Amino acid sequence: MMDLSQEKLLEMYKKMVTIREFEQSLSEAVTGGTLPGFVHLGIGQEAIHVGLAFALRSTDWVSSTHRDHGMLIARGADIKRMRAEIFGKVTGYCKGKGGSMHLAVYDKGAPGCNGILGPSQTINNGIALALKKRGQGDIAVVLFGDGAAHRGEFHEALNLAACWKLPALAICVNNQYAISVCFDDACAIEDIAARSSGYGIPGLVVDGNDVMAVYEAISETVKSIREGKGPALLELKTRRFKGHFEGDPQSYKTPDEIEDEMKNDPIPIFAKQLLEQEITTEEKLKVIEEEVKKELQEAIEFTEKSEYPPLEEIYTDLVYEERRVV
Amino acid sequence: MPLKPIGIIPNPASGKDIRRLVAYGSVFDNNEKVNIVRRVVLGLDAMGVKDVFFMPDYFGIGVRAMEDLDLSLKANFLDMKVENTQDDSARAADILDKLGVACIITLGGDGTNRVVAKTCAQTPLLPISTGTNNVFPSMVEGTLAGMAAGVAALNSSSHSDFIKQVPQLVLKYGPVIVDIALIDVVVSKPGFIASRAVWDISSLQEIFLSKAEPGNIGFSSIGGHIADLPSTDGKGIHILIGPGQHEVKAPIAPGLIRSVPIKSYRLFEPGEKIPLLHTPAMIALDGERERIERKKKQATIEIDLEGPWVIDIPRALQQAAKQRLFVNPNPLRR
Repeated sequence: MMDLSQEKLLEMYKKMVTIREFEQSLSEAVTGGTLPGFVHLGIGQEAIHVGLAFALRSTDWVSSTHRDHGMLIARGADIKRMRAEIFGKVTGYCKGKGGSMHLAVYDKGAPGCNGILGPSQTINNGIALALKKRGQGDIAVVLFGDGAAHRGEFHEALNLAACWKLPALAICVNNQYAISVCFDDACAIEDIAARSSGYGIPGLVVDGNDVMAVYEAISETVKSIREGKGPALLELKTRRFKGHFEGDPQSYKTPDEIEDEMKNDPIPIFAKQLLEQEITTEEKLKVIEEEVKKELQEAIEFTEKSEYPPLEEIYTDLVYEERRVV
Repeated sequence: MPLKPIGIIPNPASGKDIRRLVAYGSVFDNNEKVNIVRRVVLGLDAMGVKDVFFMPDYFGIGVRAMEDLDLSLKANFLDMKVENTQDDSARAADILDKLGVACIITLGGDGTNRVVAKTCAQTPLLPISTGTNNVFPSMVEGTLAGMAAGVAALNSSSHSDFIKQVPQLVLKYGPVIVDIALIDVVVSKPGFIASRAVWDISSLQEIFLSKAEPGNIGFSSIGGHIADLPSTDGKGIHILIGPGQHEVKAPIAPGLIRSVPIKSYRLFEPGEKIPLLHTPAMIALDGERERIERKKKQATIEIDLEGPWVIDIPRALQQAAKQRLFVNPNPLRR
């Protein structure tokens, strides 16, 4: 069922810690006034990003949301260029013009984070159709939240993907809040995955705080999609430990709820599994954590030294200048 | 004498695991569990049961089932915090046992009943299948289950013919009981608990069964095809997986029929301690990966005849017929 080497497992742990530290450093930058604008942090959702990234091929594509810096990091994006982009620097992946909400890293199969949720599923169908026509067995994955799952595009996109048997995987990251609206107040059923039966495709609920459960479920789903059996819908149940945006006081959650959700922190859960299975030691995990801090410090310095794009760049890259073929 | 109350533990998480993806299992929607519980309650009410105690759950199966029903029966909800883990069922079973219910009706699969059996003590179970690979609970109409539970409430002064104690498998470290399984203990190559279910034959190493019948789905069927072993025999069977004696074609999950190589097998008697031959290993209990066993502690499996008490629904209703419980001898004197 799972054939990950010790090296891969530790790499997964390192990615999770990197995402956590990266996001935490952005939180501090917002609080310290050095990062203007909105950022939406994925702290608490690292298991989803890493479990998904390790279950995919490098040639698969993942369309993601405003809360998915972690997805790009998990798929191998350079945190120096990631951070520079979020700070609007010219050394960023999109020359500082995409920022946090529209980060795209084409060579990592990331056509872009998207703050407008819902339409990303229909866009993903287009990518999936292109991949199907190319015929190399690659798939297109789209991440969205529980709020987006109540929009019309969710249903339209799943229906079309199912009709055309597209190699598309729809992943609902259900963190129980659509901005400030609690899932229980906005959804008539308890599992978004149950909607898969309306489109005749497989659907499954997965513990989104357990990276190995995420990895296993996605690996098995992806096998079926690559075999040409059509799309699937997974619902990864999780929590976000921060507000909708950095600075959101989360007044819509009770203190008890906030305390409870922190009990399922995916990083200590995975560390415990690695230790129980004698895959590593506490000392080795600490070494990894120190390496991450060092790499993050380098990314911070890289960003600080980088320039903002010059004014004459303001009208470039706004439209495609040449046709890009997926 | 007033009838004893009845307990109901509906597991909102049953029937939803990865076997919907890797096999051909159907999703058991919680709305259907609500419908089943509603029919159970109608059966109980018809039998004159006055109180039902529900385990609360995140979906509100009990609450929804009672909506719009006009009954003389009163629905009560256990005062417990819902953690959305299997511990909810264990705590609910313990509370229901202490409340002295005539029986606990469970909605779930083998895994749900295993958890309930750990804490329900002598309180009988009436298991309704809403899981995936189910051997312990029956696929039964909720109305009949409710009526059978009512018969148990009417006959609760003594353990009746229709309530039998079934065997269980016990995992021990030396004399210490670590865990139990009602149907199967499956030993496979070490790995992560992850999505819990077991379906990959290539990772299997050993299987222990308390019940091995060809008519069952899941690992019990593997034993059933080499040594038909109903639970009434009181023996267990230990199967070593690998090339050797036989290859058995068995339905290990819904729609998933696999050839399983059998190196050897043997029956074992109550009290015999069978050591696990493969460690480190992943141990699955009643179909769910639960724990890693390491060499440090010598784990053994035993079959114990004193497992949970279980209500046989057809026999309970036969008993009711013998007692003429449902027959009004003087319909004109209403």
